[in-house]
Amino acid sequence: MPVPFEALIPYAIIVTMFGVTGAGLSAIKTAQNGGKKARWSLDTWDRVLMDRDRRLTGWLRGQTDAADAPYGFEYNNPWRVEKRFS
Amino acid sequence: MASRIPQFNQQVLYDTTPLPDSIPKVKELGASSAPLMSAAYFIGARCRDYNDDFMQCKNENPGKGEFECLKEGRRVTRCARSVIADINKSCLEEFRKHWTCLEDNNQQLWQCRPAEWKLNKCVFENLGLKKEIPDQPPNVTPVHLRKQMIYAHWPIPRSAEPFVPPTQTGDNNKAPAAASSSS
Repeated sequence: MPVPFEALIPYAIIVTMFGVTGAGLSAIKTAQNGGKKARWSLDTWDRVLMDRDRRLTGWLRGQTDAADAPYGFEYNNPWRVEKRFS
Repeated sequence: MASRIPQFNQQVLYDTTPLPDSIPKVKELGASSAPLMSAAYFIGARCRDYNDDFMQCKNENPGKGEFECLKEGRRVTRCARSVIADINKSCLEEFRKHWTCLEDNNQQLWQCRPAEWKLNKCVFENLGLKKEIPDQPPNVTPVHLRKQMIYAHWPIPRSAEPFVPPTQTGDNNKAPAAASSSS
């Protein structure tokens, strides 16, 4: 008795759709992080350090190992200015 | 002053006024988070006193530590900068491999032990700095010298040997003791 493959086609479609969303999400996360794996479980220390990386290199996951900071690094830490509520 | 982190800011202000000339100028450290994480224990080995001074100064001056502790802060920056510069001069390849591995693994040190062992060996031979985790129990292998990391994504290959620096007590010329990892 041959296998009723037409009945299994919907399952194949469902599994493929799961795979497509998973692969798509993984591709988007890798692209957002410049080819590296995304960072997870970040606390405030990690966020502050990543912000410092952005000030040093220009993008959030950039890394350098120079001993001296580039020119202008001392001045590019901004004050975050809020408007008064009045 | 800032009593809470600004959350609703819609603009930023860049203040480019330089510091007055009475304050000595020190170049800021240019290493970002992954190289700093990689070199952290070597910075601690060389700069322990300056770091402790700075932390004590900040503790003794709550609220005005930014103004009172500038001198200690300059010392910390200069010392850390010297460590990074020395590592760049002598061990650049192993250093880069280690921090590239860390950057791929959420900056978790236990995922990158083989590269770390190579870096420790190179730094000990060229600079004399040892990685030491303080307050370890005495009769257990320190966690960075074990051959099995229980939470790592990939097992450590058998060809990778942990680097145990020779102990200071007495025989400096003997071969390093084998890592006794029976756990």
